[in-house]
Amino acid sequence: MSFWFELAASGLITGGIYAVVALGLNLQYGLMRIMNISHGEFLMLGAYATWLAYTVLGVNPLVFLPAVAALLFLAGLAVYAVCFRPLAAGAPSVEVFEARSLLVGFGLMFLVQNAAYLAWGADLRGYSFLAEPVELGGARFTENRLVVFAFAVAASLALLAVLRFTLVGKAVRAMMQSPTGAQLVGVDTATLHPVVFGAGLALAGVAGALLSMVYEVSPSMGEPYTVTALIVITLGGLGSAIGCLAGGLLLGLVEAFGMHFTNPSLKMLLSYGVFIGVLLARPRGLFAR
Amino acid sequence: MKTMTSLARAAAAAVLAAAGATAAFAQEPVKIGYAIARTGPWAAGAQVTQEPNYILWAEQVNAAGGLNVKGTKRKVELVALDDRSETETVVRSYEKLMGTDKVDLILPPWGTGANFAILPLVQKYGYPLLAPTATGRKLLELKNPYFFALLQQPDTMMNALAEYLTARSVKTVAFIYVDELFGLEQAGALERSLNARGIKIVEKKSYPLGVKDLQPVLNDIKAKNPDAFVALSYPPDTFLITGQSKAIGFNPKVFYTAVGTAFPVFRDKFGPTAEGVMGLGTWNPKSGPAAKAYFDAHVKRWNKEPDRWASAHAWAGLQILEQAVAKVGLDRKALRDYIAANEFDTIIGKIRFKNGENVSTPGVVSQWSGGEFEVVWPPDRATGPALFPKQPWK
Repeated sequence: MSFWFELAASGLITGGIYAVVALGLNLQYGLMRIMNISHGEFLMLGAYATWLAYTVLGVNPLVFLPAVAALLFLAGLAVYAVCFRPLAAGAPSVEVFEARSLLVGFGLMFLVQNAAYLAWGADLRGYSFLAEPVELGGARFTENRLVVFAFAVAASLALLAVLRFTLVGKAVRAMMQSPTGAQLVGVDTATLHPVVFGAGLALAGVAGALLSMVYEVSPSMGEPYTVTALIVITLGGLGSAIGCLAGGLLLGLVEAFGMHFTNPSLKMLLSYGVFIGVLLARPRGLFAR
Repeated sequence: MKTMTSLARAAAAAVLAAAGATAAFAQEPVKIGYAIARTGPWAAGAQVTQEPNYILWAEQVNAAGGLNVKGTKRKVELVALDDRSETETVVRSYEKLMGTDKVDLILPPWGTGANFAILPLVQKYGYPLLAPTATGRKLLELKNPYFFALLQQPDTMMNALAEYLTARSVKTVAFIYVDELFGLEQAGALERSLNARGIKIVEKKSYPLGVKDLQPVLNDIKAKNPDAFVALSYPPDTFLITGQSKAIGFNPKVFYTAVGTAFPVFRDKFGPTAEGVMGLGTWNPKSGPAAKAYFDAHVKRWNKEPDRWASAHAWAGLQILEQAVAKVGLDRKALRDYIAANEFDTIIGKIRFKNGENVSTPGVVSQWSGGEFEVVWPPDRATGPALFPKQPWK
């Protein structure tokens, strides 16, 4: 019994990490069709900021989370103003905008990654924080992984609530469904667009801050996370907060059970197998409406 | 008066410039080219183990008046390119360095794969390649006359580990390995060494590079309760495996992780948790006065410590090149023959090559103990006593 619990819990916790990685991109791509391929790079910036604050200034990474969110939010507003506002103004259709945003994202990726190399060099960095094990129903996990999992669940539920029950959330969803219609009924898209983009970057930064407690930090850490994020949001259904959480958890569970019953080297095969299976059954993702 | 002075000044300047030109003509710099990862996933390894050593060496040589080329001192000029962690860029860069730029000498790129990729080029253009981060019998089997592998081969390293385990009467071992050429070769070598000594393998599993969770695997292994656990791992996984083993309270008597264990960041991140963890290593500052001098110079120049495995091999490669150039100059065929036929003094002891393999440096087992990665096996190289059994995680 405790064995099954441990296996499932291990999978869920790793799944929570995947969900956290995907939250920000879900806002940007899922709700705004900005294919921000540099998502992982901003996650990396959040990780570096937290690492610096902890090792140089001795700031508690959890206390530092709001600061990371604020920093990345402001960066998001700036990036939006410089890159995506002109892009949105000049694109004749959403599809063209999506394709062009992909190119801009690639540019940002190289820019941010190389800036990080110049600033901090290529060395692996890391620190130990909340790395002590805790007992949980007979199984043992490090505290930092549990924190990431709790954040994944809380943030997904909060996002779900905001999108579903608040006026702002409804405006955001309206904006995605019909930008012109939203403007006609008085949604201030000129403000809302950059704010949602900034929120996406803030979530990427917070994810990076949380991951820096669990994994090592390096300038090239971001790219694999972008891929993970894309898989998770496609699996869950673009723009769905609960789908993002469910997609991440599903991947984590498949990997944990797969590792036990087959071979860890088959991880990719299993993950992509589930991915393809879900897309065959529900082409628009688990929770797409 | 004023014109006089400026005229005199101009004349003096002209004389100086002429003198400078002659001096420069007499000592045209020795161009040494290389491509290495400054960006991308290889950069973490390349920038810890390799490129800082190249730069430090060139600076030291130039500060001492230049490289001794058969009695003439000539400045060293490094021609360095970023290979962006892409094999095709490595190949293109070396093609350019050797074929177009015609540099005098080359230094190797980082990693087994990158070195493997340029071996045909190295042979075609005839440049000796002293590689500190290429390991694997597959490379040596190519019998490339210009390739010299400085690092211990997988079977040498794994034999040393198996000898250590035998000496401690270890009966059972579980091991995992990364699904890459490196992991596969090490795993094959370890399995042969353990079988030859009658040590039982209770579990062996491979895992993919970039894995984010290995707790289910470690739990399965913990349930089998092996005396020793060996992970033939790469840097990010080395950290993951150590952290998660501590989390689940997996406390075998021997806990061994491979690449990355020798990196100072391993100790810096884990603090007291690192105590007793074993891994691939060769040396530390206590290995000898030359090693200590190298260590101090590295820390002074870069404000960070060199790793305790391949960094010193990289430095040894530069020492060998320096000694060979002093003896035979820049004729690369003569250089190759001289390197192949002679023994060299380096910071990791004497090195002699046989069919491209460093046959002098023995397999070594190292262990974190009191903040230093102590060499604990073989006994004649040991810098400290082994902690056995490893104490529970702190």
